[in-house]
Amino acid sequence: MSKQQPVLFSIGWNACINCGACVAICPQEAGFVSPFDTIAVDRPCDIACLLCESICPVDTITHVPVEQPAVSVVTVDR
Amino acid sequence: MPPTDYDLIIVGAGPAGSTTARFAASAGLRVLLIDKRQELGAPIQCSGAISGHGLAAAGIPPDPEFIHEAIYGFAIYNDRGDRTVHDYRQLKGDEYGPGPGKKPLGYVVDRRRFDRYLMTQAERAGVDVWLKTEGLGYRPRPDGSCTVSLLRYNQPIELTTRVVVGADGLQSQVGKWAGLQTHIKITELAGCLQFIVDGVETEGLLEIVTGHEWAPGGYAWVFPKGHGYAEIGLGVIATMTDKPARWHLDKFITQSFFRDRFAGSRILEVQGGGVPLAAPLRTQFADNMILVGDAARHVNPITGGGLHTAVAGGKIAADFLVGHLGDGLPLQGGALEAYQRAWLGAMGDKMWKLYGIKTGIFHNMDIGERDRQLYATMSSYFSPTSEFKKI
Ligand SMILES: Cc1cc2nc3c(=O)[nH]c(=O)nc-3n(C[C@H](O)[C@H](O)[C@H](O)COP(=O)(O)OP(=O)(O)OC[C@H]3O[C@@H](n4cnc5c(N)ncnc54)[C@H](O)[C@@H]3O)c2cc1C
Ligand code: SF4
Repeated sequence: MSKQQPVLFSIGWNACINCGACVAICPQEAGFVSPFDTIAVDRPCDIACLLCESICPVDTITHVPVEQPAVSVVTVDR
Repeated sequence: MPPTDYDLIIVGAGPAGSTTARFAASAGLRVLLIDKRQELGAPIQCSGAISGHGLAAAGIPPDPEFIHEAIYGFAIYNDRGDRTVHDYRQLKGDEYGPGPGKKPLGYVVDRRRFDRYLMTQAERAGVDVWLKTEGLGYRPRPDGSCTVSLLRYNQPIELTTRVVVGADGLQSQVGKWAGLQTHIKITELAGCLQFIVDGVETEGLLEIVTGHEWAPGGYAWVFPKGHGYAEIGLGVIATMTDKPARWHLDKFITQSFFRDRFAGSRILEVQGGGVPLAAPLRTQFADNMILVGDAARHVNPITGGGLHTAVAGGKIAADFLVGHLGDGLPLQGGALEAYQRAWLGAMGDKMWKLYGIKTGIFHNMDIGERDRQLYATMSSYFSPTSEFKKI
């Protein structure tokens, strides 16, 4: 895993066009998504590659660093 | 293998999933097609251009229900506005045209209506369709079948099936469920934005604008959209610009050689998405699972077009599954690799070749030279003599 500090993403929903490009580029495991077909915004990302921010056509993803390591949340039935 | 609830559960009712479902059910398989959306195709993440032969080969009649406008050719522009035109009304006037006995070269479709139409055809062929149903995961079982977990109007449901088809588009999770390497490189996913506009004239041609100045890493487009509307959009590669697609689209509209043409345009819709200008996935199968359409990255790496490849891939997947299941062959331990071979033979090998051409262009560090190559490649790609005409 990367040594980056985990981040929590925030999406400006007013500009988001629900295009899903952020999910398409995201290297996370299955399930790191929000109910609006964007990357998850309710739990930290421990990869913090920020590719989603650079692909977003309307530049509406931002992040804040979080201190504690990412809590693992299992949403996918494997 | 003991009886299962379905032969196939198809995750995603886009063009790839609905086409797979229709052909599989027509041949007698028991098929469940699910989609998490409430209205297929919406919000639209596509410009909707598809060739006439692409529709015909997948058994889809050009129905007015989904067609915005007929297309008769292409105009490809360089960064300064010089253009190469392939107008099939002139090139092959006895075959292509608006008149009686002639046909369009292709169409711009409304994805909301197109996806619904294809789903309806699948349903009429005997497919069970569940909207508002999300696929959450799957588990192969020791008896050779598998269990699929669904969430339908908040209700968890587990069903057994012989094969899961991942037709869940670019954001595909199904491949990830099986642990496949599905990650797209940031240098190969174009961030796209488009406006449907009023007040821009078009001439029955798909217009493609190349040049780093307007769309670094991708291209810009102007498509006719029916009712006198047009579609203006572009895709950019994030590593070739520090600005988002929206900034580039504003610049294209207000500063390019089209600024006078666009001056009176009024925006009616805003759409976007990601387009992979990438190679097909190296592994498109796992135990009890195959991928089709954008989920397998069955997308033309030069044009970003994925509609023709989605419906063509759907037919290939269905034909394969009908034969494979009909013969009672195994579904685990690499047995489904035969699907990938069938796909590569039918269209994949050509797509790999296109990927090689595309990579060659964009590895060139000299912007002027790259621009010249992209313009030349796009110009010849759409010509009547192109070897890639049917991709
Ligand atoms: C801006 C833009 C313009 C484009 N223009 C063109 C063009 O002009 N011509 C062209 O040929 N191609 C174009 N493309 C590409 C084309 O849109 C895609 O290749 C095509 O939609 C792929 O079809 P598909 O069936 O594989 O996937 P999709 O159309 O993405 O369908 C996937 C379906 O799966 C559903 N789904 C996803 N996950 C789940 C889940 N877990 N459970 C249940 N359902 C799920 C989704 O709701 C969706 O309905 C464009 C793309 C973009 C972004
Ligand atoms: S890439 Fe941007 S616009 Fe597209 S869904 Fe993600 S946050 Fe929304």
